[in-house]
Amino acid sequence: MICCKECIDLLYDYIEGLLDQETSKSLEEHFEECPPCIAFLNTYKSTTTICRDTLNQIEIPDEVRHTLQSFLKENKDQHEKK
Amino acid sequence: MSFTQQKENREIEEALVKDFQAGNLDAYDKIVELYQKRIYALSFNLMRNQMDAQDVAQEVLLTLFKKIHTFQGKSAFSSWVYRITLNSSYMKLRSKKKEPKISIDELLPSFNSTGFQQEKIQDWSENTESLLFTNETREIINKAVGLLPEKEKVVFLLRDVEGLSTEKVSEVLDLTIPAVKSRLHRARLFLRKKLSGYFEEYNSQKGET
Repeated sequence: MICCKECIDLLYDYIEGLLDQETSKSLEEHFEECPPCIAFLNTYKSTTTICRDTLNQIEIPDEVRHTLQSFLKENKDQHEKK
Repeated sequence: MSFTQQKENREIEEALVKDFQAGNLDAYDKIVELYQKRIYALSFNLMRNQMDAQDVAQEVLLTLFKKIHTFQGKSAFSSWVYRITLNSSYMKLRSKKKEPKISIDELLPSFNSTGFQQEKIQDWSENTESLLFTNETREIINKAVGLLPEKEKVVFLLRDVEGLSTEKVSEVLDLTIPAVKSRLHRARLFLRKKLSGYFEEYNSQKGET
């Protein structure tokens, strides 16, 4: 049976579905007998989700949007004058 | 996004770039509309500072305007934009005071000599829902991501936050696919460990009350 270290090394490929059937099966056998690794798998997956959901909330603040807009307008005007 | 939709978007984008290269300024405005949020968000997530992210966004949009003729279409236009954004953010970061580096290895999982986990692992994955959008949690997550070493952070932001494919990330950063995977895995392990402290404490407090 594979050990926890191997199991965690394989997590990435396991989640992405990149493991061959045999390796995938031995990983699942490990999970069946190792609750800490299941907890690890679940929290590993959760980490990605919650970080993504949090960092994706970033919007351009209105004042930044306005600054960018006038900056671009100025730049275009200069360009057109040339 | 479906594959056909992605393909359509790419075709629209390619047409915009061609129009802009031919001197059509309306096409530039559309490109700005398509990209400014992504440029701002990526630089903000790298630097965590509104003014700096604004400066970078300005610089990148200006570079797109001035250097569009140098874009030859060898890689995807979006890869080119991401690369300019990263270069510009790194220039900005370099001009600032460096924060002490933290070693990622100390936070990777540890095993005993037979390869079994040494620490007690709690499963907090079910209990994040109620905490997710509180300011405190946001702060903890931002801080944890901020602590990631540069190399791992950028891979994590492009792949897991921006949602680019592994192949695309390898194109933007000029890394091999195995290098992208290994950095991403290390980033996730690091963040998992950082967040575990917080969520485990929350769980145990909840258990007491």
